[in-house]
Amino acid sequence: MTDDRINIAWMYPDTLYLHGERGNIMALVRYTMELGLTPHVRRIDLGTEDFDPFDYDILFYGPGEISSFRSVIDDISGYKHSLAEYISSGRILIAVGTTVALFGEKIVRWAPENDKNDVIDGLCIINTEAYERELVYGNDLDIRAEYGGYSMELIGSQIQMADYGFTENDQFKRFGSVIYGRGNNGSDGIEGAVHVNSIFTNMLGPVLVNNPWLTVRIIRTAAEVKGLEISKRDPEFTLERKSMKLKKQFIESKMNS
Amino acid sequence: MSFKFTRALITGKLGAFIISIIDKNRGTIWAGKKAMNIDPDFLCGLKGIDPSRVLFVTGTNGKSTVTNMIVHILTSKGFSVISNTGGANLTSGIAAALVKGADISGKINADYCIFETDERYLHQIRDQVPCGNLLITNLEKDQVQRNGDPDFVYRKIAAVADEYKMRLFLNGDEPRSCSLADRAESVIYYSADRHGRAFIKDDTFVTLPCPKCRSRIVFDYYNNDGMGSFKCSGCGYTNNNGMENAGYTVRDADFDKGTFNINGTAFSMPYAEPYMLYNYAAATAVCRELAGISEEETSKALETFTIPEGRIESIEYAGKTVKYFRFKQENPDTLQNFLNSAAADKNEKVLIMGFGTVSDYDPHYINSFYAFDCDYSVLADANVSKIIFVTDTIAYDAANCFIYGGFDSSRIEVVPTSDVKEIFEIISKCECSNIYLTVKMYLFEQMKEYAGKARS
Repeated sequence: MTDDRINIAWMYPDTLYLHGERGNIMALVRYTMELGLTPHVRRIDLGTEDFDPFDYDILFYGPGEISSFRSVIDDISGYKHSLAEYISSGRILIAVGTTVALFGEKIVRWAPENDKNDVIDGLCIINTEAYERELVYGNDLDIRAEYGGYSMELIGSQIQMADYGFTENDQFKRFGSVIYGRGNNGSDGIEGAVHVNSIFTNMLGPVLVNNPWLTVRIIRTAAEVKGLEISKRDPEFTLERKSMKLKKQFIESKMNS
Repeated sequence: MSFKFTRALITGKLGAFIISIIDKNRGTIWAGKKAMNIDPDFLCGLKGIDPSRVLFVTGTNGKSTVTNMIVHILTSKGFSVISNTGGANLTSGIAAALVKGADISGKINADYCIFETDERYLHQIRDQVPCGNLLITNLEKDQVQRNGDPDFVYRKIAAVADEYKMRLFLNGDEPRSCSLADRAESVIYYSADRHGRAFIKDDTFVTLPCPKCRSRIVFDYYNNDGMGSFKCSGCGYTNNNGMENAGYTVRDADFDKGTFNINGTAFSMPYAEPYMLYNYAAATAVCRELAGISEEETSKALETFTIPEGRIESIEYAGKTVKYFRFKQENPDTLQNFLNSAAADKNEKVLIMGFGTVSDYDPHYINSFYAFDCDYSVLADANVSKIIFVTDTIAYDAANCFIYGGFDSSRIEVVPTSDVKEIFEIISKCECSNIYLTVKMYLFEQMKEYAGKARS
């Protein structure tokens, strides 16, 4: 029997549970099917014992509260090395929102002046340090992204609890350049990071629902890495394109005001 | 009493009096703002406040309704109450209520002070107003542009509970607020038994991390979104099958008859909606514990209770009944309540949904992601002939949420407009006369005005 499955692990969905990110899983399922493959989703919770990243083609980590990070890092530590190999092999990890900070070197919690900052050691998978903000920053995010050899415009939202920055090099590229919004820190115009085929982004929306042209690229990449044949024809995105137009108008009105 | 305090009080009182002559509906915070401008320590200068007779009501959903309900019950029993029932729940709103309630020497003579209190400002307010009782309705995802995540608000409330050992009134069916019990001087729980409109959600939905160990919270059932019988899969934290031991539990809720009981006393529901059960239980608990009002007396008082305007209302237009339900942007629970209420009506209906951009704070922004936490399957057998999405920027995104949620896309129409006249034209053209509407409050206010003019 030919394996036409795209295996998706939904990582810690009730712990990394913010901002309606189940929509991203639904988008991965929908477009995997529309591209002629069979999606299979499994929830991985804290303490799931038989988890091996290499059983999956896509790992999805949604946004969570910084208070949960120590528990999540403890759990990931059990498979950290295979996770790093998984990413290096070209398989796909997607991390969204504040959860991006988990994969960096450390997360420094905000504290009032003269109080000691609590520091959480990260997984050191991407070369960044995150600093919790005193106040949340919420706004739209409009970027020009590069992924899978394609350039595309993506629009979503950003609820930024921590800022971070990283240095681009051969291994780590920016996920996108900011057209409107904050991106990683509001100063360098960089949004997120890409390491091989894995994406670390601040963009909510859910990003894969509202920007299905990215979703399809991700699934095509996952299929290619796995050696699966896939429909060459992209699905239609009529509704999403109409939505994009309205949102773009809204963002432009803010840029012009 | 300092000169500054006296000047603040008199200026506030005079201003409030003048505003009340001009327009009774305006100026809910002006007097407080002015008094605090003149004397930033104004609240600390008030005398005669007995903390045991002061209650703050905080939480994500239901603050205004519960506050109004408690005040209604207390005043119907003849107690004098100072409150911010208009919903101005920041420091200035509470100051305005106290300016009005204080005598000219700055003494508070009321029997009780009941204040709806914004979660973020709770500490600041408690620092200035002595209070021995705190009611937490629930702590859910809400206002992410301001709060980021529920943990942000949880930590703020926990800090107040830690610093000021208070009596807490806690929703025993909601995991976050219930977990604050460890920090209380004493705790009164309220809850609801599993009822006929309780529901379950499958594993495609998320719940929340355990507030104690961050593992997965599992609900056996939900009485209301985020509330029900729960247990942590990690540390075992649980409410013991719907808080069997809560002092005030709504039992035998019957939404068709509009009845329930608490501690054996029969109640009629002024509003037969599941989310209201927790409000009834909370108000009953507070009135009994704070003022010794019996369940029988509370039941009688509730017969004449009406919730504040702008939550649930109906308007008639062109032979159609338009039932409006308020839902808060960025808040999946109130959207789910709307869906559940519409689904409970088995008559044929059209839904008009107006998700808007979030415009509470700058910068205004687009957010429909919270809608992916809602369960649209409740609409499957609910006789919904059509759903029409209005408002200008995110109508298509909102429609997409419902399509992802499994609603038949051929019965979805998108008309991206916020023009009231156009929305009423849509309503006029509906073949069905039973319309459920949820739009932002300002738009509903415009619609009410338009419909009123059309009728006259």
